Amino acid sequence: MTHLYTKMSIDIQGTFVSQKINKVRWIPEDYAETKCFLTGSWDDEVNLITVWTFESVNEDEEVEYPRALTKYPVDDDVTQIKFTEKNKIAVSISNGDVKILEISAYDKQTPLKEIFSWKSLHNYGNTKCSATSLDTYEGDIASIGEDGNVNILSGRRGEVNRTIKGADSCSLHSICYLKHTEVITGNIRGHIKIWDLRSEVDKPAASFLLAGDELAATCIINHPTQPHIVLAGSESGSVAIWDLRMNTFPTSLLSAHTGGVTEMQFHPENPQKLLTCAVSGELWDWNMETITKSTKGPDNQLVWMPLQDKNTMMINSLMPSFHQALNSLDCEKGRILCGADNEAVYLIKNLKY
Amino acid sequence: MNITTFSNNNVRGDDSSPIIRAKTFNIPEKCFNKGVGCAWRSGNKFSIYPRSQTVSKTPKNDVENKILNIRHEIVLFHPILRKLVNESNGTYLSLQKLVDSSKNNDNHVELLKLSRQYRSIIRVCIENLQEALNDAKDGSDMINLQSYITIFYSVECIWHLCEILYIDKIPGDIVLPYLLEWVRFHFPCHEQTAAQLLEACERGSEDHDDYWDTVIGMVVQGRVDVARALLKLNSLSETNEFKLVDNSLRSMPVYSIYGGISTGEFTVTWKHWQAECRAKVTSRVLASQPKLELIMRLIIGEYSAFESIRSTYTSWFDMLGGYVMFTAPWSRTHELSAAASACAGMGSMPSGSRLDRTLRALLEGDMHQVIHEIQHITDNGWFATHLSDILYHCGKLKVLDKHQNNVTQRLRDSLILEYGTLIMEHKSLWSVGLSYLASCPPEGLCRAHLLLERIPINTHAKAMRVVAEANKYGLLEVGEGVWRVLSGRHSAAGRDGAALSAAVRGGAAGRAGRCAGAALRHYCRTGCLPAPDLLLTAGPALLIDDTLLFLGKYCEFHRMYKNKEFRKAAQLLISLITSKIAPDFFWETLLLDALPLLESDEAMFTADDTYDMMLCLELRAQNFNREKAELLRLALLRNLARTALAEKPEESTQ
Repeated sequence: MTHLYTKMSIDIQGTFVSQKINKVRWIPEDYAETKCFLTGSWDDEVNLITVWTFESVNEDEEVEYPRALTKYPVDDDVTQIKFTEKNKIAVSISNGDVKILEISAYDKQTPLKEIFSWKSLHNYGNTKCSATSLDTYEGDIASIGEDGNVNILSGRRGEVNRTIKGADSCSLHSICYLKHTEVITGNIRGHIKIWDLRSEVDKPAASFLLAGDELAATCIINHPTQPHIVLAGSESGSVAIWDLRMNTFPTSLLSAHTGGVTEMQFHPENPQKLLTCAVSGELWDWNMETITKSTKGPDNQLVWMPLQDKNTMMINSLMPSFHQALNSLDCEKGRILCGADNEAVYLIKNLKY
Repeated sequence: MNITTFSNNNVRGDDSSPIIRAKTFNIPEKCFNKGVGCAWRSGNKFSIYPRSQTVSKTPKNDVENKILNIRHEIVLFHPILRKLVNESNGTYLSLQKLVDSSKNNDNHVELLKLSRQYRSIIRVCIENLQEALNDAKDGSDMINLQSYITIFYSVECIWHLCEILYIDKIPGDIVLPYLLEWVRFHFPCHEQTAAQLLEACERGSEDHDDYWDTVIGMVVQGRVDVARALLKLNSLSETNEFKLVDNSLRSMPVYSIYGGISTGEFTVTWKHWQAECRAKVTSRVLASQPKLELIMRLIIGEYSAFESIRSTYTSWFDMLGGYVMFTAPWSRTHELSAAASACAGMGSMPSGSRLDRTLRALLEGDMHQVIHEIQHITDNGWFATHLSDILYHCGKLKVLDKHQNNVTQRLRDSLILEYGTLIMEHKSLWSVGLSYLASCPPEGLCRAHLLLERIPINTHAKAMRVVAEANKYGLLEVGEGVWRVLSGRHSAAGRDGAALSAAVRGGAAGRAGRCAGAALRHYCRTGCLPAPDLLLTAGPALLIDDTLLFLGKYCEFHRMYKNKEFRKAAQLLISLITSKIAPDFFWETLLLDALPLLESDEAMFTADDTYDMMLCLELRAQNFNREKAELLRLALLRNLARTALAEKPEESTQ
């Protein structure tokens, strides 16, 4: 695969924060440029969800550095952070808890306020078990855990709407809402299942394998404008693309990163652009145009072509030679935030989109 | 806890002076009175426990028995210093990569860049510590931060000199300008006063208390221009004495490698200039101005002049630059030791501090002593490790042992191994430590293997990360171990699916077989198969163990049966029976599964199949419940009766 290190004026700025960062999220602003962001740490004695703001040290200096505004300690690793509403986040924690926290709309320094908390939502009976991830959809939350259960929670009323017990006999590691009534999950063996939440029985509507290598599906997302296009990242570093209308075999299975894919995101402003980061310390910017543009289907719909020649993929590497895992990314316009295992947060500016 | 120190007979190397290395801790707890046991835990932790436990019938007394976990305080695990650990790890790894990729090339420019990077990391760290100190409120915190700052100041100072002397390639090896820069940077005495005076630019500045100290300080730092500018501010600057000194300072020849003259030529000019200055001093024209005379004596390199001002400085390094400048400005790197010992010998104060000894050793080129000294800095070996590594790669570290063997690489490796092991102890920093260990094969990898196996694993995410890191360095057995343990944990808790998937991941055939056996037993008891989703989708993974393969196929049989594909199901069943891979306890279930198929309206099994089943039944009759065996025999016979007849005509026609 070609890596074009184009000489764009990409600007990388790292800040060491003394904790391995598992998740980073920009805090959206309505009428101003986003300045604040959240991080969730993992694998430390005390893990924290921290609210940061970018600030210049001296007034005349242009470079801005993150400064911690408030810290919220959690009992174990933060495994996922997603917004349910503009100023509310759903957090899954590796002790099995799922929480909804509120960020003050007026003063970001105010400590995060717990709105709802589901203690040991995921568990092995009396023993703890990790809540591995969650996804949100219009205030609803779907959480998964190593117990193989899927919980559908109402973020407004704080209730557990439904539990799919034993949705998987192995641990689940990734989840994504396809629509309000449908979620897709991936387990530690790369087994992908689609669940119709309207169905009474706890049986998947469809199931298929990510790849033959029995490695975990570490993240799943769908295309923002074509929700039937689903992408899954694997522990092996490959990325699979499905067109759910066609069949259950991936249209393309790209061996991409050299280490497990940790997070994928379509650029919020330009859905032709995909960003991925990996355990191998790579941060890539994919141009997906080559896949979508190629043909139109019989009913004049866009058809995602199977990639024959992977060399046609346009991929830019945004992070030069990085030796530790990149765990998370969040993109907002031309700026990408990245959280890494070398206990640092990176801000990449001037991304073209 | 009371702490007392005593000396023990630890003898260091060749000299036999005992060094105090032991501390005694008095533990007040009663339970330790009768004798104490001690056991090492992972890393630098150990536990002590009462050797003779007071076992009593009343449970109340149990409270007295305590186990104390004791660990060494690691300063590098302080949040601010963790940044240093992580950031320097990046530089360290780039250095290893650079050295690997350019084995034979001259890469001193890159190495110099990396050395500067290390220094800037230390500077950032000092800055962070300073900030934290300004915000600190707690007394003990402040003391700690202050001591960290002191440590890293001296670390940076030593590193900088080391960089000048050993890492940088100085043109012509004329070290003076670099040395002066170093002195100015680390011992900026009088600089502020000089700046203030020059900014004010008032005549008669000699009224300032520090005026003369500043002028002399500037001369000693080799900043002749500044000294001259300051002299101009003196109200007497128009007098002959001042003009004379100014003239002498102005006419001082300065050597530059690119100046187009040879060192020999320069030496002649310089000696000539100094002789002129000396003549002025001896003519006593400056007798009325003792301070000006002192300046002149300094610039002719008079030892007693330097000695007379030694007391105004806290250390001898302040004067080193000036001393070299006015005695032998053409000095090369290896010629500095004479100047160093001259400066260090000034005054009556013995140079006792660690920084003193280290810098002396550095200027004398005694790298063994340098490393020895910096190992005693209480930064948990961060400095010794990184400095010796970069010096080693520059080819500047040569250390010989008692028998004149070259032990440089062993020294470097042992420092890195120690540091890596220490860092790996930390819950979050383990991957950093691992990267150090991995850069020192083969011993580092062996250590990494042992330590990785002992990392507590609570979640699958952590397991995957540990295994990925281990695989990165080729430690595939670690992954197998991790998944095997997880599999064991899951199967003990009765989570068959998770146990199976972990076992298959770890490639643990035996473990997978046992899990499959457990699943089959579970089926015999409850009549439902665990983890069908896993078994139906597991492809080649099933092949690692017979029992697992059997379980997978048996699961498929159930699926076919449920989907009413009876003929296919029957075929699969017969192949399962004839392959004889079913565990003994399962035979009864397996053969009884044939019962409904035998009794179906349409014959599902051929006569041959029936014979096979009969054989299996009779061979294992002792495992069977008598009643069930009878039932089976009957069904088999009836099936044989109809199939034998149905198949007969075909056979006869052949």
